[in-house]
Amino acid sequence: MRLANILAWLDDTNGATLAHLDLQCYSANPAMTTQDSNQTQVNSVTKMQPGHDSSGPDAATQELKPASKQNTNISEYEIVLPGVSEKNISLANPTKVELTCKLDENSNLKNPQVTWKKGSETISHTSKTQNSWTIELPHFYLCKGLEGINDHFLSFIEVGFVQQKYFVIKFGDPLAEVPVISLAGIQGLAVTEPDPRALPIIDGREKPIISYEGDIAVMVCTTVYNPKAWAWYMTNGTELVSIDKMLPVDKFRIKSPSVSINRLEVVKLTREDCGVYWCEAAFELGPSKSRFELRVLSIAAPLKPFVAVVAEVAILLTTIVLYEVYSKRKAKGQKTTRFKTVEVEIITKL
Amino acid sequence: MPAPAEAGRAPGPPDGGWGWVVVFGAFISIGFAYAFPKGLAIFFKEIQDFFGASYSEIAWVSSIVLATTYGAGPISSILVNRYGSRPVVMFGGLLCGVGMISAAFCTSILQLYICVGFITGFGLALNLQPSVIIIGKYFLKKRPIANGLAMAGSPVMLCTLAPLNQFLFDNFGWRGSFLILGAILLNCCVAGALFRPIGPGTALVKTQVTEEGKDALKGKITTDGPMENKTEEEGEKDCFEKVNQYLDFSLFRHRGFLIYLIGNVLMFLGFFAPIVFLAPYAKHTGIDDYSAASLLSILAIVDMVARPTTGIVANSRWVRPRIQYFFSFAIAFNGACHLLCPLASSYTGLIVYSSFFGLAFGMVCAMLFETLMDLVGAARFTSAIGLVTIAECCTILLGPPIGGIIVDTFGDYKYMFIKCGAVMVLAGTFLFIMNYYNYRMLAKEEKERKAKEEDPNSLRTENEGKKNWNKDSTQDGPELEPLREKGEGLKKEMNGTNEV
Repeated sequence: MRLANILAWLDDTNGATLAHLDLQCYSANPAMTTQDSNQTQVNSVTKMQPGHDSSGPDAATQELKPASKQNTNISEYEIVLPGVSEKNISLANPTKVELTCKLDENSNLKNPQVTWKKGSETISHTSKTQNSWTIELPHFYLCKGLEGINDHFLSFIEVGFVQQKYFVIKFGDPLAEVPVISLAGIQGLAVTEPDPRALPIIDGREKPIISYEGDIAVMVCTTVYNPKAWAWYMTNGTELVSIDKMLPVDKFRIKSPSVSINRLEVVKLTREDCGVYWCEAAFELGPSKSRFELRVLSIAAPLKPFVAVVAEVAILLTTIVLYEVYSKRKAKGQKTTRFKTVEVEIITKL
Repeated sequence: MPAPAEAGRAPGPPDGGWGWVVVFGAFISIGFAYAFPKGLAIFFKEIQDFFGASYSEIAWVSSIVLATTYGAGPISSILVNRYGSRPVVMFGGLLCGVGMISAAFCTSILQLYICVGFITGFGLALNLQPSVIIIGKYFLKKRPIANGLAMAGSPVMLCTLAPLNQFLFDNFGWRGSFLILGAILLNCCVAGALFRPIGPGTALVKTQVTEEGKDALKGKITTDGPMENKTEEEGEKDCFEKVNQYLDFSLFRHRGFLIYLIGNVLMFLGFFAPIVFLAPYAKHTGIDDYSAASLLSILAIVDMVARPTTGIVANSRWVRPRIQYFFSFAIAFNGACHLLCPLASSYTGLIVYSSFFGLAFGMVCAMLFETLMDLVGAARFTSAIGLVTIAECCTILLGPPIGGIIVDTFGDYKYMFIKCGAVMVLAGTFLFIMNYYNYRMLAKEEKERKAKEEDPNSLRTENEGKKNWNKDSTQDGPELEPLREKGEGLKKEMNGTNEV
């Protein structure tokens, strides 16, 4: 029987999806495998660029159910038995995942007992039809492993089979324990490390920003996604001090020309303003940070090379002028002697 | 030959000695003029962030510098006609320095436009033209080599300025970098100080004028010459003449000049766009950033070597008389490279293209001013270059944006390369055909002039009667001093086909 049909609904806050997800699992029952293998559909994971809509003309989307909610995209992932298949899927947005066990029509089983389990804990079905049993993953999402950890949301789902018997879903919160679910009839769990790259990247500056005392320093943070909020921090010793909260208005100015760009302007710079600044963009999936380093130089710093170059120019100019004066004097001396010779020539010829 | 006359005779260009020092100065000066605007691009992202400006607002800075450098050509020419090269270049260097130093203290984009755009751009214009002009005054026999060497300053400076700018930016931020760059630009004053004014004492020359025929010597007298002769022969100065003293508009009746002008204006439509789009095209075909940047480095290195080499080749006995054909060939070769570029889609193909492009680019640039000097002669070159640069200014500025529009419309870079290639092949062919015609006309005129020379009386009346046309035919034409016998004593400008 089909073990699971995982459908994922994505909250389409900004149309960004990172993957299609369509899982159709088949029973490990050897009697069924040969038959079912004809019907297997192995979908490749399509990774899409964020910002695009999740509509893609591949087999997966044919399985899309019309969304009951507005602005939702459905992605389906399929895992097929038999055969080892692992899929890595990354999602940029909080994901509601439903795991559905569907009984294949051609199955011989009647009235099977289907339980969804997480570890040893049984999850009750959220919906049930004659041939399918569905649980909603957000249940797991708010489960004990994740509760209370900085509102970090699901970063990715990875569903895979290990040794044909393991069904693994990995949650991608770098800081949390990784809960997994297993399905009935499958034993064992596999845990892998979450992928920290799953969080959206925001662009900062790797090289230090150099500015001068009394001048303004500008740090610009950009991203292609639309974050919910921006925050700026300054490293004071070892702790992060929030600039937003402090915000002496005459010292720091925060401007936002658009949702995806945020500027921090530090005015009236002094030496103490040197240091590391952090720009944090809060996404639904989690906050993402970017680092800036500010160096404040005194005005004397570029003056030294400036004066050196000007001195070099002055020296060269003087040398050239002197040389020219000298060679002109020499030439004058020679010229008078030459004319005298010529005059002598004319006189002798005549 | 009377000895005093020989002793007082106007000496020709030295073709050496201090001339090579002048070439070095021109190398620096021209290098800054061409390479500096390109080197500024490194700072733009930071300045854009700092002022919160859009990309196009920042790109205007570059455009203003370029437009001012080329557009201020006539002013540069007028100043050189009046004061000579040296003061103008030194003043230009000072302006550049002041412009960049004040740019370091700017607080708005508009101020940047003025300081970096207008002031520095104008300073660079005052650097570029006089440097080229003074080479024409110091060299005749070896002029193509001197031109090639001086023009090699552009790629060398670019290769130096790019990493230097990056270093300055990493250590001092954009303000400090502008301050230091201002000081570095003051070195143009040093280069200008090397431009010792040359020219024989005009007092001695005047005595020769009446004896040996004024028209022939006009070509070799220094800046004062044309003005003096006009006052002597015509005895009147109308408004037109006055303007011509400063900027020789009679050039527009000069056949060779017009040919050059039309051909070059056409060529510049497709000259710079491929450089601008080479890196984006490379990235478009899937090459990574670093390799795409190294394509431009290959171009610059080949360019660096190609320019002096072209100068040497152009100076050789076989090419010098037919230098206009060589120039047309170089332009057409450039165009052919661009037409073949779409065939190169792999990285190796693009490297080959970059090398050939560098070679062709260097060839054209090395001869750009040499051919103009060849056509109009050293005296009128001052005005000629001013008029040519302001005409080129429009097409230079239009070239890359038109290329950009083509890329955006068709979504493919190859049409842009085809357009550039076609324009350049067309320009090369036009120049080739028209110069062939020009050479023949010059040969005819030279024959007529020689026939009349047997009779000096008719020469004088002809001069006074058809002054302008004689000026055209005798002062211009390719200069082939090295091929004339020295015994003649007069330095005339000869049509090359006569000798060959």
